[in-house]
Amino acid sequence: MFDKKLLEEVLGTAMASGDDFAEIYAERTRNNSIRFIDGKIDRINDNFLSGVGIRAFSGTRTIYASTTDISREGLLRCARSVSDAMGEGCAQISVVLTPTTVVDNHPVRINPCDAETKIKSDILKQACFAARDYDEKIAQVQGTLGGVDHSIMVANSEGLFVEDRHVRTRIVINAVASDGRENQSGGCAPGRGMGLEMFDIFNPTDVGTHAAKQALVNLGAGYCKAGQMPVAIENGFGGVIFHEACGHSLEATSVAVGMSEMCGKLGQKIANEKITAIDDGTIAGAWGSVNIDDEGNPTQRNVLIENGILKNYMIDRLGSRRMGMPMTGNSRRQGYTFEPTSRMTNTFIDNGPDKNEDIISSIEYGLYAKEMGGGSVNPLTGAFNFAVREGYMIRNGKICEPVRGASLIGTGSQILQDIDMVGQNLATGQGVCGSSSGSIPTDVGQPLIRVKNITVGGR
Amino acid sequence: MDFESLKKSLFDAAKSAGLEEYEIFYTADSSVSAETLKDEISAFAYGVAGGVCFRCVVDGRMGAASSELLTEEEMKALVARAVSNARNIESDDPAIIFEGSESYGKTDMPEFSMPDAAKIKRGALELQRRTYAESELVTEGTQSYMFAGESEMRLVNSHGLDLTNKYGVHGAYVQAVVNRDGESEENFEACGEIESDKLSELPAKAVKGAISKFGAQGVETGTYDVIFSSKQTRALLSTFSPIFSARNAQLGLSLLRDKEGEKIAADCISLIDDPMREGCMVQTSFDGEGVATYKKSVIEGGILKTLLYDISTAKKAGVEPTGNGQRSSYAEPVTIAPYSFYLEAGERTLEEIAESVENGIYITAMKGLHAGADAVTGDFSIDSEGFRIRDGKICEAVKSFTVAGNFFELLKNIEAVSSGLSFGLSSGFTTFGAPEILVRDMSIAGK
Repeated sequence: MFDKKLLEEVLGTAMASGDDFAEIYAERTRNNSIRFIDGKIDRINDNFLSGVGIRAFSGTRTIYASTTDISREGLLRCARSVSDAMGEGCAQISVVLTPTTVVDNHPVRINPCDAETKIKSDILKQACFAARDYDEKIAQVQGTLGGVDHSIMVANSEGLFVEDRHVRTRIVINAVASDGRENQSGGCAPGRGMGLEMFDIFNPTDVGTHAAKQALVNLGAGYCKAGQMPVAIENGFGGVIFHEACGHSLEATSVAVGMSEMCGKLGQKIANEKITAIDDGTIAGAWGSVNIDDEGNPTQRNVLIENGILKNYMIDRLGSRRMGMPMTGNSRRQGYTFEPTSRMTNTFIDNGPDKNEDIISSIEYGLYAKEMGGGSVNPLTGAFNFAVREGYMIRNGKICEPVRGASLIGTGSQILQDIDMVGQNLATGQGVCGSSSGSIPTDVGQPLIRVKNITVGGR
Repeated sequence: MDFESLKKSLFDAAKSAGLEEYEIFYTADSSVSAETLKDEISAFAYGVAGGVCFRCVVDGRMGAASSELLTEEEMKALVARAVSNARNIESDDPAIIFEGSESYGKTDMPEFSMPDAAKIKRGALELQRRTYAESELVTEGTQSYMFAGESEMRLVNSHGLDLTNKYGVHGAYVQAVVNRDGESEENFEACGEIESDKLSELPAKAVKGAISKFGAQGVETGTYDVIFSSKQTRALLSTFSPIFSARNAQLGLSLLRDKEGEKIAADCISLIDDPMREGCMVQTSFDGEGVATYKKSVIEGGILKTLLYDISTAKKAGVEPTGNGQRSSYAEPVTIAPYSFYLEAGERTLEEIAESVENGIYITAMKGLHAGADAVTGDFSIDSEGFRIRDGKICEAVKSFTVAGNFFELLKNIEAVSSGLSFGLSSGFTTFGAPEILVRDMSIAGK
């Protein structure tokens, strides 16, 4: 994207106040999405983002400046604002960049931002019509097919100079079922770090049908009764439980500043021994994968918890300085307007020793959370909450009537101890995680698990 | 590229493409912020961003494309992309580039000047110092933050309409962390001010709020009368505000469809939408399509007076647009949203309202509304914190329970609205405001 000499000059300028590290991040992103509603394509969003963020460190103090002005003057002005904000000074820093080539582990066949609109609208309509035609109670179907083509460049005062490109595709279908009095909704939203070839894996008809079925189940469901009970949480997006209850508390963003209940617990048993949890940004074509993180480091497979023992945190450059621990390839940001921080990639609980059928049959009275919605967590106390999107009561070891409006609340440290059965059907689900460095794609995942006791919110 | 050359380049490209109806929407923002940790500035950021969106009508359909790369070449490409996008639209929704309203109101925003970096840094440090000084229990993790931003927008179209707006926002927040005998609690408070003398209450409020959570216990599952704090009522209003969009109603995604003129809320409920509310830092006299904005009652004495309309939904419904087709940045498509959207205050104070509650909960925090609430159905089940109310008095702290219900039912069941109306910080053009509300017999799940 930029001339090497210019970048070296810009980095030197950013460090003029004697900072010990500087970095330039440049981004060019095409965002393209098609929306379907009321039987027709009604909107196409087509946006191009282009800008630069410059960051400097002095110890653990950081200065960040971003701009859309990518001319030589614009970059130098941005760099000067960084060094001015750091303090007075006229240090002569010379930086020499060494270009490095990134190995692309996620090659893309059909870039969704280059593909003809007709091809994309056909895929989207196939999914939406499948949902609409599934049952006469389906009153409305809304769908979006979105593609992102994200090119980044990272150069820093240690000589790193890399470029990478990351393409992702996602289809989101929401169906509303109505009986005239009430509305209930259902959804399905698979995504991959791939191009349109992701629809070789996901048949659009199945995606639409899934959304419609869920809306109908909820329309026929009564309210979930509130109280404490055992809960079986299904695979896929059920992994949001780990993402919220534990993942955020293992990010350096909260650990390095003493804001996590997981501080100082490395090597300690923090979970049931059946739990092994992993953050892996290298999985080919996965929604949360990238070749390099947003500080230019290759992503890794990081074992966070092994047989219940806390093994590692997810650490970015600033976190690494604060904690005195190595970086783990987890630094991420939505784009150039955000300073990066430690974030998750594809985070999941690995398969365990229990048979899935044993998990259900072990529960006399409880909840089967077939599909989870989103949630949130307070990393300091570990208190989390999340919504159950499709749930059923379990009676005498059998899955019975559907219930709606349930939510699960608890604390991370407690639920990690209370997950006492881990099944064997590991699968992932896609989410968009929001935090201080913006919204980024993350995968969550797990096999079917049992939580022996948790508060179920209902009415 | 300055705005005039950008406009010329886009208009020339539009004319050579044979377009007759087209529009440029341009936004430019700058922002500065400082964050503290312990006793120093841990992060300082400043940014300049902005871009342009080109919209045009081709064969009765609207196409759009936007970009941050403001070069001659990109402007030509933008017009071509918008035309191609229009050709791929199938919807018969009315596509209109607006000729302009007869007249526009006058905004009267508080004076704003963009503070320099040094002022923001000093302000954040001072706030942090005062937060630590509040109590010996204040501990690591406590952060103070100060920010300011300025935005400019311009809407120009082929009918000769040319509208501009410029506004600035600033504010501060404190995240207080307290520790007592190994038990940690935190509390977040925000305020739309940056001048030292106007921020005197923020550190105390943040720290007291955190300390008041110590020793919080669970509550027994059951049915309780609930008072939602002003902040939490605002959170509910914000989560469920999409139900007032005419677009959602027309698509069957809001249960307020065909309910205009009907009673949808308790008598004590009046809901106002005001784009030029006195004292609000973000005001506008025109919306993202160029329609004049105005103050209106959305609910009056429990009756739904109007939904919020943009041009397209108004035309479909055979009514006038209400000036709610918003665009707060160049990259955002026109979206129906409110401005200063607030529940009118009642007469009694919080304490007076609490007096009527024998067995209840005063809810002061709710988490995960984005996941635990559904605007299409109105259902919510939300992780909450607060205080028990016993025999009319607000008593001990409680936590780890959910409050569940349905927003459409809740609107009808609000028994009282307090006199304590307060507003949150603006997000784009939208600011929510509410007093405390009392709702009888809510489902609480706890122990």
